[in-house]
Amino acid sequence: MRYLILAALVLSVPLLGIAQQTRGGSNSGSKLFTYPYTIDDLPNGLRLITVPTDYPNLVALYTVVAVGSRNEVEAGKSGFAHFFEHMMFRGSENYTPEQREEIFKRAGAETNAYTTDDRTVYHATFSKEDLEEIMKAEADRFQRLKYTPEQFKTEAKAVKGEYDKNSANPFSKMNEVMRETAFKRHTYSHTTMGYLKDIEDMPNQYDYSLEFFKRFYRPEYTTIVVVGDVTRQRALDLTKRYWGSWQRGTYKADIPDEPEQKESRTAHIPWDAPTLPHLAVAFRAPKFSDTSKELAALDLFQSVAFGENSELYQQLVLKEQKVDVLAADFGHQADPELFTVYARVKDPAQVGYVREQILKTFERHKTELIDQAKLDATRSRMRYGFAMGMNSNNAIAGALAPYIALERTPETLNRLFDTYQTVTAADVRDAARKYFRDESRTIVTLATKGQNIAALGRTVEGQN
Amino acid sequence: MRRTLSLLLIALFMLAPLAAAHAQTRGRRRAAPKAAPKPKMPTSNQPASNADAAAGKPANVLEPSQSPLVSVRLLFMTGTASDPAGKEGVASLTAALLAQGGSRTMTYGQIVEAFYPMAAGFGWQADKEMTAFSGTTHVDNLEKYYAIVRDMLLDPGFREDDFARVKSDAVNFLKVSLRQGNDEELGKEYLYNIIYAGHPYAHHNMGTVSSLERLTLDDVRGFYRQNYTQGNLVIGLAGGYPADFPARVESDFARLPSGGPAPKRFAQPTVAPGMRIEIIQRETRATAISLGFPIPVTRAHKDWPALALVASYLGQHRSSVSHLYQRLREARGLNYGDYAYVEYFPRGMFQFTPSPNLGRSSQIFQIWIRPVEPQNAHFALRATLFEYDKLIREGMKQEDFAGIRDFLTKYSNVLTSTQGARLGYALDSRYYGTPEYTSFMRESLSRLTLADVNRAIRQYLKTDRMRVVMVTKDAAALRDAIVKGTPSPITYNSPKPADILAEDKIIETYKVGVRPEQVVIVPVDRVFQ
Repeated sequence: MRYLILAALVLSVPLLGIAQQTRGGSNSGSKLFTYPYTIDDLPNGLRLITVPTDYPNLVALYTVVAVGSRNEVEAGKSGFAHFFEHMMFRGSENYTPEQREEIFKRAGAETNAYTTDDRTVYHATFSKEDLEEIMKAEADRFQRLKYTPEQFKTEAKAVKGEYDKNSANPFSKMNEVMRETAFKRHTYSHTTMGYLKDIEDMPNQYDYSLEFFKRFYRPEYTTIVVVGDVTRQRALDLTKRYWGSWQRGTYKADIPDEPEQKESRTAHIPWDAPTLPHLAVAFRAPKFSDTSKELAALDLFQSVAFGENSELYQQLVLKEQKVDVLAADFGHQADPELFTVYARVKDPAQVGYVREQILKTFERHKTELIDQAKLDATRSRMRYGFAMGMNSNNAIAGALAPYIALERTPETLNRLFDTYQTVTAADVRDAARKYFRDESRTIVTLATKGQNIAALGRTVEGQN
Repeated sequence: MRRTLSLLLIALFMLAPLAAAHAQTRGRRRAAPKAAPKPKMPTSNQPASNADAAAGKPANVLEPSQSPLVSVRLLFMTGTASDPAGKEGVASLTAALLAQGGSRTMTYGQIVEAFYPMAAGFGWQADKEMTAFSGTTHVDNLEKYYAIVRDMLLDPGFREDDFARVKSDAVNFLKVSLRQGNDEELGKEYLYNIIYAGHPYAHHNMGTVSSLERLTLDDVRGFYRQNYTQGNLVIGLAGGYPADFPARVESDFARLPSGGPAPKRFAQPTVAPGMRIEIIQRETRATAISLGFPIPVTRAHKDWPALALVASYLGQHRSSVSHLYQRLREARGLNYGDYAYVEYFPRGMFQFTPSPNLGRSSQIFQIWIRPVEPQNAHFALRATLFEYDKLIREGMKQEDFAGIRDFLTKYSNVLTSTQGARLGYALDSRYYGTPEYTSFMRESLSRLTLADVNRAIRQYLKTDRMRVVMVTKDAAALRDAIVKGTPSPITYNSPKPADILAEDKIIETYKVGVRPEQVVIVPVDRVFQ
């Protein structure tokens, strides 16, 4: 939901395509995800989800591994899941990186991968006639990855380059400091990119990388999603042929629970370069569950209270013009994470005011009921927004991937939207009361070094 | 490639023009393969449109289909190259105020409220010669949606508070987001400015900080009156709109002043001979590098497919298959990626595919080297020039040529995979006078030979007018090293193959052919000032 909500409600981009919504699916009914799909489980624990569509000739292949920075439980290993994703492009027993690139190039394929807290996703879109060759190459790297210590060290430098390119943006640092302030034990305390010191140590972690592969790149962590011009039988035959002998593993990361937060926390980042002050207000929030009314209530609240048509947005951004960015972020994650509101404040003297207005908004909804019409409009918007985004095979597979990592079935989206339908204004108020408490709050500010802003918190180290 | 979370939030903090316009900025999702072929239905196409434009009436590009979605793109053939001197930024501010301000009958707050349940928006994009307004809505909401956006464009509110907000967004975009929050986009945008020094393209599309601060609402009104004319408008519609819809839109937009300046075409810039390097000094961890120069080849030119193929070979955007990426990143771990372009490609950091409706009469050849560690900046510059010079000297090989041609032929489907993108490309095809994009690419690529490509390389790729922008912390030391030609050996954290080490030996003293007075340091607060 993170991408959808941010894209639809915050960036307010014109969304494209709802065509498949009515053309493709059988049993449209009130379901959100209207495509027929099948689930096949192999004996080794690998799951295949096939979604035939009527976008012809092309297939999107997503390989979703339910491992991310959340699984990085050992000290000094932050960022490893993401780094490992890079290594997956460095060759396997039967394909050099060059041979692999050649196959994808011939297929005119778009291919890439990404890592988040909870998942690593490898994806490609290409002509259906290339499905077997690409499945075969993909299966090889997941089972027989092979790279030299030299390649490993070189790739570690590219990852450092990725950190460096992101580091000019104050938001990267805000995100890092927010996490380490709000979480003390759970692995959400570090970003997916990882700490700089751990990234700099990555070249020395070759042996650990082999261990990482053995632990997590296993069928029980993995779901293959095939969307497009394909039949279940074809996808299943290829999956059995190339992935059938993959061996199940035994490892489970022991991810520490985050203890209850008992005091409000703050942090301030002095920034070396001139910038506008940034402010983030976060509360500890629940983990994903498609049947949780609380989670559904917070999703709706996020949009009602902080979306573009919210009173706060209209006040701070449009009328008073004290803020040029206002956005809320509440992800659907495997473990409890944060409900965060970000603001960029135009005048350093107004940071305290803006913080108070944000806090007041949280506070007010603990007693006031939100307007029923607004609740209904938000449900309509979420449904439209989701459906309008499903405008290609790649977009459909991409929208499924986060939920596949969490629940291994597209049905979770339908259940989630069913839950949205049941949420009342009182449910939203109750969820606000339960989660938006002072003692579970963390506020992070960032401002140009030497600049005096209201609402300074504990000062952490400056710009990298 | 292979990125982490939060791209969207980072994009959000870049704000302003980015947030306004582009579906492609939506996180990691790349545009996807082409959907069902369009049903054959009558469309008005180029000849009619051109005749209309000549008659000073709106032209149109129609792409009807059975889709329940309707995409609207209203393209005005005017843009930031028409900013009057001293009023740089007025074209963008006008577009921003139209798309993010109220109409006479509705405040912007009311418009946002009305769009909300439809999950609709109205984006804008102002480039040198084109200003595009775009949105998509479900056909159920079309009438309501259209009535709002029609009034936004035809009956703008031009309120002082909306003006103050979009102006402050524009200033903060240049001063904070671009200057101080994203070295790569900073370097690229500054490169575009210096490539076109003295030309109407020379300033950033958003204007300059000082000109923006002087602009008034009357300036915006004036620009609107002069440029938002029937003759400058091309109406783009796609999807399942009712049959009478195009005629209604045309009739509504006939309320714009008739006639108007014919679409301007701008001359090629005159670039002073010799390489020039500008080093932006800024407190930052890494060193961003961009290189480029103007080319007379646009999509309308017979050699465009050849040059597009060369750029794809040298550095297909965000792809790991291309040459620079393989040599600089994969073999040496210098940075996160290395790409090349034959067209203006803004916001590359956030998009896998280019935005349509950036048609220009003058284009650029450009190389984007993602940030490197400062101690490797000189080496990275030399390595880039080494590979570039080698391409000019040796040309492409047959096997590389064939592979890239196949890739590009299929890839044109990816670029036009959604209805909105197809409409955008159709509008661009109209501008350039080329056939529908995928067939244009398929046919021109099938006719192309290796000899054509290598001739185009020799004819258009030059070093003697190259402009280079680097963004770094210790600009003086970098300038000194470049001017003196100090050797720049590179060290690695692991053993490298002999061929790489041998090549490094050449690169570490490779001549950067620039005269000392052409290597200058620019304090960051002077950029876009």
